[in-house]
Parts: sequence; structure tokens; C-alpha cells
Amino acid sequence: MAQDSGLFIYGIVPSDVEPTPDAEGVGSPPGEVSAVRHGELAALVSEVVLEEPLGRPADLTAYERLLDGTAEVAPVLPVRFGTVVTGEDAVADLLDAHHDRFAAALDEFEGRVQYTVHGRFDEQEFIGELLAASRDAAALAEQVRGRPEGQSREQRIRLGEMISQSVELRRESENRELIDAVGRYAVADAARAPSHEMDAVHVAFLIAEEDEDEFIGAVEDFAEQRRKLIRMRLIGPLAPYDFVSAHQLVE
Amino acid sequence: MSVATAGQPGGALERTGGGGAGGALADVVETVLDKGVVIDAQVSIAVVGIQLLEINARVVISSIETYLRYAEAVDRMSIVPKDQKTLPDLIDGAAGAAAKGTAVAGLGKAAQEISGAVADSVRDRGARRERSRRRDGED
Repeated sequence: MAQDSGLFIYGIVPSDVEPTPDAEGVGSPPGEVSAVRHGELAALVSEVVLEEPLGRPADLTAYERLLDGTAEVAPVLPVRFGTVVTGEDAVADLLDAHHDRFAAALDEFEGRVQYTVHGRFDEQEFIGELLAASRDAAALAEQVRGRPEGQSREQRIRLGEMISQSVELRRESENRELIDAVGRYAVADAARAPSHEMDAVHVAFLIAEEDEDEFIGAVEDFAEQRRKLIRMRLIGPLAPYDFVSAHQLVE
Repeated sequence: MSVATAGQPGGALERTGGGGAGGALADVVETVLDKGVVIDAQVSIAVVGIQLLEINARVVISSIETYLRYAEAVDRMSIVPKDQKTLPDLIDGAAGAAAKGTAVAGLGKAAQEISGAVADSVRDRGARRERSRRRDGED
């Protein structure tokens, strides 16, 4: 069955959501985004050429921009990047098959957005603190400094391992402290895997509109208390990527 | 549509709007990859297999290479750190760092190994604060 185009599904929204005319989809040139409606639901879709591989930086950015932009005005369930179906009938079948579950999930996301807190240790600062706090590490550092790797390999590995373990433990405690400090302003939280060796914190939070300012204030305070040690970033508002369970809809 | 914002001037928190507003592809990949509702084949709908360019999330695994890189960083660090303490001061100065609240919980294993130093620092805390209050007229 040769078919040369399909519908790329971005996310599921309530049926009264209308894509803005300037909304740009994936593909090159960018596809035009439209809504396929069924009952109380709609899917945001755009046509894609099946021969053209997707996943270029521009495609990922378009996907995220559309979902995050939508999340600011309406609840949205992100559909995993790369989901393409044969046509509007298939979209309607999908919405029909899961109508109540999708509708319930959208109710849950009404007036809520995701924020991701991502912090990274300043390497120099972190190591400096460790050397100041641990005699063992400081002693190893002394044996390593100024000596070529060939002559100090064993000490280097031990020192590096000590630093690495220290980062991991500190990361665990920073994540816990972050959730303790700001979690009360969140509906839910979800720890994310570190994406860098020096990652200090990485947690996604689901935040209700009315708590947004207080949440941001609490994250600012948390960052301020660690400003020398951790470069702290707040990313959002985002669509609730980390709060859509991949399997909750398939049973 | 959200835009990138810098956060409060002089603030410690960097703000990035949604939609990949920061312009960093790594952020976009991290945010969206492997997230979202999966349309399962159980549902009798027509999911089309499309060709996806390979997108790899970075998986952080510590290895000997990592350890050696950390050691290299230590090697590069000046022996006299930026606060102009000498190395002996630094080693004895664990108390100072803890009293300032920078070397608190979380150093975990390392902290256990030097439990003596930490205990000292905890005892020292009050006294140090007292002294600095008298000297500075504020805490």
C-alpha cells in the first residue's frame, strides 16, 4: 500500500482549541497545523511526507514550540514525537478508542503547566569544597598535582572516583532538598535522569496557574542559596511532558 | 508564545521560556525525547512507520575516563585557591567551610570519611558566628 503522506500528531487537546494561523509544524517547509475533532477532544496534526526523515533540530523545536505554546492557553497531552497515522479517520479512531481517558487526563492538566529545574555544579567550586572538606581527597590531590598521568594514574583514578561519588551523593541530596523546598507549590514532581556528569538537580514540576509566582519565587530562593556552587536554570512553562505516563493509556 | 527571559537582574536563577526558546537543542531533546503518549499497536489504528533521524539522549555513566578528567581538573586548579588560602589552611579549614554553610550535607561518603572534621566544624559554628558578629556588627 503505497502512501506518500501521513498525519503527524503533536498532542491531544479539548475540542475548543484552535491552532493559531502562524503555528508551524514539522517538516521542510513546515507543515500547516490543524485540529482534527472528535467528541470533546481534538488532535493537533500536520501533514508530513513519509519519505522525508523527521527528527532534524528544526522538527524537534517546532514540535516543542507548538506544544508549549498550546500549554500556556489550554491543557494538552503531548503525543510522543514521531507518531504518524494514515489520515483523519485514523486520528478519529484513536480519539474515539481512548476518549474518556484522554478527557480525564486533560481535566487534570487544566490550568497547569510543567516547569523543569535544571542545575549544574560549578566544577571548580565543587572540587574546591570537596578538597576542603575531605583530608583524603586533599591528600590525593597533592599527590596528583604537577605529576604526569603516567606517574600518578592510580591516585588520579582514586581521586576522580571520590569526586564522582561525591557528585552523585550530593546530586541525590540536592534533588531531595529542591523537592522539599519547592514541592509544596507543585501538584506533582518527577525526578529526571541527569544529562551531564556535573548535573546537580534535575526535576520536573507540575504547577497550577495560581501557584506559579510562589513556585518561581521559591526556586529563586533555592538558587540564591547555592549561587556559587550551582548554576541553576528554570525552563518553562512547558507542556506536561513528564506527567504523561506512556503506558497509562494502553491497558 | 514564550520568550527567553534572563530572570531577575543579578539573580541566581536563569530563566528559559518553553518552546526551545533558549535556542539550545540539547534542552529541546532533553525535554521532549521519549516523553508523551505512546500510541500502541494494540489500538487498531493506522500508525505509519516513519523514518526518524537518530536522536540520542546523553546517558551519564561514570568511567575511568571521567575519573581521570576530574583528576585533570584538580591538577589544573591553582594550588592557592581564589580565596587565597594556602593548602594547609584549606585542609584545616574544613571547619570554616562548614561554618559558612557551603560544605553541608550531601558530600555523603566523603563526609563520613572525615566525620571528625565535620564534628569539629559543627562545634565551632556558634563560636565563629559570635566572633564575626562582634567584628562586623552583624551576622
